[in-house]
Amino acid sequence: MSALQGGRRLAVKLARHAALALPGARSPWAEAMRRELDYIENDRAALRWAFGCVLASYKARLTAGSSSRTRDLLRQAVASGAVMLVIGLAFLENAGGHTEPSRPAPDKPACATRNTALETGQMPPSGVAGAARDADRPAQGPETSCADPASEMRAPLTSEPSRGESR
Amino acid sequence: MPRKPNNSRQTRTLLATLLDSRATWRHGYDLSKETGLRSGTLYPLLMRLSEQGLLESRWQEAERPGLPPRHVYRLTASGLVFAREQELVAIAAESKEALA
Repeated sequence: MSALQGGRRLAVKLARHAALALPGARSPWAEAMRRELDYIENDRAALRWAFGCVLASYKARLTAGSSSRTRDLLRQAVASGAVMLVIGLAFLENAGGHTEPSRPAPDKPACATRNTALETGQMPPSGVAGAARDADRPAQGPETSCADPASEMRAPLTSEPSRGESR
Repeated sequence: MPRKPNNSRQTRTLLATLLDSRATWRHGYDLSKETGLRSGTLYPLLMRLSEQGLLESRWQEAERPGLPPRHVYRLTASGLVFAREQELVAIAAESKEALA
């Protein structure tokens, strides 16, 4: 058996395979391609033709498949994509509530540090501290933003004698 | 942007060849040799044109004994109109290019 005869046999086998690969509705086309092989005298040309037939069959198969199967797959992919999008948006919305940026902490006033010092007992006796505070304080109206809790406690004590005087 | 149907270079070549020999039935292998299209390109085009009603086909008995019947093709009436339109479009495009 020569190489050329082998090439012809391979061409025939390929053409048969192409006929099998082609969808049933297009079987006349498979037959047309296969029969054309008998009219090609050159074995090499016949082999090239047969390869082309296989290619054409697979192309036709893919085209036929794309009409129904691929459309279904595409529909499923779009549906699942939409669901994932909705879930993702819901997560984003929830996460947005938790990740609200915190307010910047206001600078502690000087009195706050003094109060802490009083609590810890690091300051001099209250009389001295109170005198210093009174000297710092303006004459009209107490400081509202940074009021000394100790002075608030003292206030009723100073008002009691006046109440007694009224009586 | 979707691709325009039957607007590829291969399709236009095939349509032009079929238009030139509008009266005669052509074999696949003859068309392949004349257009330079391989069977893998030619047959999908033939199938598509046939499905669109632009091409008709039939089985023709072999002239020589011992050979099987062959599938032969030619343009339908609508195929002829379409091929002419495509030819005009191609001429217009060529003249535009020449002017540019």
